[in-house]
Amino acid sequence: MFTTGSKLFVGAAALSTIGSVVFAITTGGPTGFMGTIGFITAAVVFWFLAGINFFTRDGSAPAMEQGVQYTSSAAQPPVGRSMWPAVAALGVAGLAVGVVSTPVVFKVSVVVILAALVEWMVQGWSERASGSASYNASIRQRILHPLEFPILAAVGLGAVIYAFSRIMLGIKLEYGRILFIILGALVLGVAFLFAFKRGVSKGTVAGVSAVFAVGLLGVGVASAVQGQKTIEHHQGLTPDVCLETASEDKMHHADEDANRGVSAEAGVIASVELQSNGVLIARNAAVVQGADNFSEIVVPRSSTVSIVFRNNYEGEHRLTARLGTFGEEPEVIQCTARIEEGQEQVLVIKIPKSSKASTSTMMVMVPSLPGQEIKVLVP
Amino acid sequence: MERSNSNMSTLGGMRPSRRVLTAVAVLAGTVLAGCAENAPQDLFEPAGPNARKIDEGLGGQRFIFIISGIVAAIVIGAVSYIVVKFKDRGQDIPEQTHGNPKLEIALTILPAIILATIAVPTVVKVFELNESDDAACVVNVTGQQWWWEYDYPAQTCGGITIKDPIITSGEMVIPAGVPVQLRITSRDVIHSFWIPALNGKRDAVPGRLHPLRMEADNPGIYVGQCTEFCGLSHARMRQAVVALDAADFQTWVDNQLEPYTSPEAGTLAAEGESQYISQCSRCHQVNGLTDSEGNPVLSNPDENVYSGSAPNLTNLMTRTGFAGFTWDLITEECRNELWNAPSEEFGDMYLAGVWMNTPEGADRPVCFNEVELREWLRNAPGMKPMYANPAQLEKTGGLYRGMPNLGLNEQQIDQLIAYLLVRK
Repeated sequence: MFTTGSKLFVGAAALSTIGSVVFAITTGGPTGFMGTIGFITAAVVFWFLAGINFFTRDGSAPAMEQGVQYTSSAAQPPVGRSMWPAVAALGVAGLAVGVVSTPVVFKVSVVVILAALVEWMVQGWSERASGSASYNASIRQRILHPLEFPILAAVGLGAVIYAFSRIMLGIKLEYGRILFIILGALVLGVAFLFAFKRGVSKGTVAGVSAVFAVGLLGVGVASAVQGQKTIEHHQGLTPDVCLETASEDKMHHADEDANRGVSAEAGVIASVELQSNGVLIARNAAVVQGADNFSEIVVPRSSTVSIVFRNNYEGEHRLTARLGTFGEEPEVIQCTARIEEGQEQVLVIKIPKSSKASTSTMMVMVPSLPGQEIKVLVP
Repeated sequence: MERSNSNMSTLGGMRPSRRVLTAVAVLAGTVLAGCAENAPQDLFEPAGPNARKIDEGLGGQRFIFIISGIVAAIVIGAVSYIVVKFKDRGQDIPEQTHGNPKLEIALTILPAIILATIAVPTVVKVFELNESDDAACVVNVTGQQWWWEYDYPAQTCGGITIKDPIITSGEMVIPAGVPVQLRITSRDVIHSFWIPALNGKRDAVPGRLHPLRMEADNPGIYVGQCTEFCGLSHARMRQAVVALDAADFQTWVDNQLEPYTSPEAGTLAAEGESQYISQCSRCHQVNGLTDSEGNPVLSNPDENVYSGSAPNLTNLMTRTGFAGFTWDLITEECRNELWNAPSEEFGDMYLAGVWMNTPEGADRPVCFNEVELREWLRNAPGMKPMYANPAQLEKTGGLYRGMPNLGLNEQQIDQLIAYLLVRK
């Protein structure tokens, strides 16, 4: 009475229905609520599909003809072996392992079980869709390939990226550069070879790719197990670095880490130049006739502005901004990295209060050259 | 056929004449709207070199307006003619034509030529307008919700020495005939600074300083408004540039840098000073003001206002507007007199401000618009919509955007008015 397809869906629907009842009773809270809704949804869908299959006799119009018990698609024996029961079993085992180990294993197992169920169901249905095995295989591919290929490609790409990132995080910076160059050259070379050697068989290409993928994944897993290399974190341009009272070693590291680029051209309110005679001057960013050498910089309150520092004096120097002391808070100090003669660096500042509210003088200065200061005023 | 006859009779009846009348009324309304006498933001009345450059010559707005007008007239005329001439009156469908390479090529090339004719001189003009290396003065212009602040670094501005920085708001005062370099930025969201009579628009973007050259030919007041939607009171974010001749500008600078003097003890203004310290000085600054122990009274707008700033009120009564130049500090009559004053008389009248037309020795200024200032002090958000409800400041971490209702009583308002009147 029941066709093969409808039996499958009736089974799945029954399982989902029972699952919804069990889940609703055993699991409370938002998880229980959402899970029960999920099971009920699945049950409704499976019952619907089962009904359609039953009604259409698995989509086989001649199924009601005489002798149909021998010729109908539903009567065809299953073809080949299916790996999906084994995969589903693996998923179920993974669920158990996940419950006692880490949530990631549990989540991956759920995905594996769902994927196996879908594949198994479609395979089971397609193998009896008609009397022709090749036609059955083609409709299975037509349904599942648009899903399988993008998902597998994404998973494969993700695995490659993850493995590569673990390798790069596990080795030193210098070796990383070399490895990157070698790998890049290797991939390019092999791809070149495959492209120009028309005679290379598919098997060779697949073999080489497989060896490469397995090698990459293996080393990636090994690197992940090994752990990430230690990355030293420096404190940056701290007040003692800005005032050059820190140790030479600390200043060296801080300056190394600091951004040396001048990038905020649009927000530049003034450029401060340490001239070749060692005298510090300020120029207004706007070109103003007869007013291009300011002894003070006026900065609008609470506005983000930039000051460009250019060192035209021998040796390495930094520009330090002392931006006021307000109440009990320590003095606000910012600075550029030390830069060599002929270089520029930008200092981005925002001063929230008037100069008059500060108990210390606001200024920009070159700490290595005492007396070289430009007053900063916030009206 | 009957239906088409019926349509024909309708066309010949009352309907077309009503349509014509409606069209004429709309057209007349549109044209007459351009005849407004009181139109200080008229694009076609440039009062400075930059605005004139935008207005005149190849690539100027008149040039583009004429070309666009001709194109619009041809297109609208042709469409109107076709609509009327070939209206469906039940006639047979005419022979259909598909594809006409000559016509299509012509209809592609002609607009391209027109666009090129407009684009080339316009682009050249854009570069010309960007030149500002002749500027002889610098003013930092900072926008915030919903007012503009102007600060003048210490400098020699058009030959006049500004020995200490000046800060003001609402109206920017510049020397007439002197190219001024504005450096425009914002403290909160994007605004746009625009004085149509003096130059084009320039966006005020947080973290960026945008230059704009501004020069006025003659003394006068030139108004504009923010042209980038910036929140609740965008429409009430106005601004003005006041151009003064060299002598008047010198007077204005000297006045701005006058040391602070406290009102005479026992007067209403002195009581107002105390009110100011307790009610207003959290956000507003009056330079030189000290408390009873002689300590400077310093505002902390960064702890109360989202933008981190509130208008400096040191010389409030040297201005003619308040609350983002939205309301006048002078009466309507005095404003009309000031705005229409001849160039040679403008400076004196502007410098007199609320005291304009006031007889010598009078204790109250004739031109003072006390009504609206009182209303503002009574309930600022009631006049100008702002995000100033203390119960609705979660998004800004308790910081106001605009001035809240301070809940002042009439006596406190009297005292504050008296104090603000001496801020000149």
